[in-house]
Amino acid sequence: MLYRVIEASEIPALISAFMESHEVVAPVKKGDVYAFDVISSPDEVVLDYDTTIASPKKYFLPPAETLMTFDAQGNQLTDYTAEITPRVIFGAHACDINALNRLDVVYKDAPYADPYYIARRQATLIVGISCMPTETCFCHLWSSDEARFGYDLFLQDIGGKYLVSISSNDAANILESACNPREATDAERIEFRHATRRRQAAFNPEIPKIQEVAMLMDAFHDDPFWDELGGKCLSCTACSSVCPTCFCFDIRDVRDPDGTTGRRERVWDACTAPQFALVAGGHNFRSDPATRVRHRMYHKLNGFLATHDRMLCVGCGRCVKACKANINPIEVLKFFERKGAADAE
Amino acid sequence: MPNSCAVSTVRVRPFQESPERRSGAELMAANPYRPWPARITSITDLTEHEKLFEFRLVDDRIREAFHHAPGQFVELSIFGVGEAPISISSSPTKHGFIELCIRRAGKFTEALHKMQCGDIVGIRGPFGRGFPIDDMRGHDVLLVAGGLGIAPLRSLINNVHDERSDFGKVTIVYGSRTPSDVMFRNQFEMWKHRKDFELHLTVDYPDSTWDGEVGVVTKPFEHLEVDPGNTFGAVCGPPVMYRFVIEEMSKKGIAYDHIYCSFERHMKCGMGKCGHCQIGHQYVCIDGPVFNYWEAKNIQGSM
Repeated sequence: MLYRVIEASEIPALISAFMESHEVVAPVKKGDVYAFDVISSPDEVVLDYDTTIASPKKYFLPPAETLMTFDAQGNQLTDYTAEITPRVIFGAHACDINALNRLDVVYKDAPYADPYYIARRQATLIVGISCMPTETCFCHLWSSDEARFGYDLFLQDIGGKYLVSISSNDAANILESACNPREATDAERIEFRHATRRRQAAFNPEIPKIQEVAMLMDAFHDDPFWDELGGKCLSCTACSSVCPTCFCFDIRDVRDPDGTTGRRERVWDACTAPQFALVAGGHNFRSDPATRVRHRMYHKLNGFLATHDRMLCVGCGRCVKACKANINPIEVLKFFERKGAADAE
Repeated sequence: MPNSCAVSTVRVRPFQESPERRSGAELMAANPYRPWPARITSITDLTEHEKLFEFRLVDDRIREAFHHAPGQFVELSIFGVGEAPISISSSPTKHGFIELCIRRAGKFTEALHKMQCGDIVGIRGPFGRGFPIDDMRGHDVLLVAGGLGIAPLRSLINNVHDERSDFGKVTIVYGSRTPSDVMFRNQFEMWKHRKDFELHLTVDYPDSTWDGEVGVVTKPFEHLEVDPGNTFGAVCGPPVMYRFVIEEMSKKGIAYDHIYCSFERHMKCGMGKCGHCQIGHQYVCIDGPVFNYWEAKNIQGSM
């Protein structure tokens, strides 16, 4: 891939250049935490943020999205225009880019390509930024600590400068017009190597490194551990709201106040919600929280891998912070570690 | 706060038809969430709770492009009420019409049961993987339905009927709770005297009029003769029934991967996305709804 070096002082100019043609979404400070939001000035952007409450998922799969509008009287569609805003997600971490690549697998590259998702994905440029792990990050376990594709630019911090990987023509043109990209020196290449090694060494050593997670998810599928872990679930679905790879939805019809016209929309839904596996007639295939939590973890750490050859977890650690009941993949890894301990029963 | 770029917002009209005439398949693929208008052409009362609806897609391009396999399903729409996955009850040999057997069980089916011939609904599909009808050709088939399971299985039964000479021995076992729950009774009565169908209708609770068999759906297996190496089994019914029927089929010596069953889940999108129909690592809507028993055993939480 093509790469160049720019100075950190050139970043505001780069953001301003994107703002001329796009809506720019970037990490901004909200109280004590960070969140992705639309910016009106490059000054608002915080590039050395630790993590954001939620991922930029909502810009591709909005929490509620109109699919079509209808006239219920004649049971027919009415003309509907979806508005897609050309956007730049500026400052996405590698985990979030890898998460987006997983959404692509389901919404863009699978049979039944999703026209709404694709329109948003195609109208969005992604500028990634390197990061250092927080104590809840475990992206390295699933090889999600590096973004290999799925972005337009990726900025690797090498101390006052950025090594920029350039993967799209559109982004290259904007970079060229706003900054003075130059060839990297040997010292800069070496600094990149150091930066990567510093990141790799900085992960929380208390998070167990376990290789055969998918197989273990099958082997311990009926272990009482799942009742213990899932029994605590409050069914609040915060885990899937903050998860960058959770993509399940519900489809519902909403009538306008006049009662005859309305819209069909899809809204975020979660497999940890009590009614998720309910079928007509009232049978619920996962009626208790324990089986729902186990199903969610199974899909994340085994099921998606079985069909798409990669985990549906990128180790961003957001659910670790969001879950009030301390249910998260790290707890699952710790359980497997206990099972593998020398004195395990 | 939106910045200056808002003026350049792209407008996407998901249902705008391009000026050139497109094929039905292209139209359906352009937006797979789009239901296509279909008219109710016939309604038959089957039992107190179930009706058989026949639909005809209005657009001739869509109608031509609509080809299903037995065991597949459609998403049926009533705008303002919602959408529901319904398995197709008619045989692919009856091209041009789609029959759906629908039990009144909730808000959506309640609304449908109030509709009349000539009314318009929306249909998209067909979705899913059906029964391997082409693999079944040249072999004996043992088709077992319980209760509303007759709805998806009837598509296969009628397909086998319409192409009868392509199949070996055909055995149909259909179990219901009471005689008044038996659906398509006229059709089965007509086949009773045919020598090329071995038909076992059984009810749990007979009344004075019942001249069929009595007992649960596995009862007829006591005297069924099966050529295990040459037989495909197919099972549709309530979840509790599968284990018992599959056990009986296994006892007869039919291999796990020759026993097919259709799974019921709430497939909201039908396209492997919304997640509602997931079992283990599989989506019932695209990987199923028909799985063979070997596949089903390999799905966590399927049985």
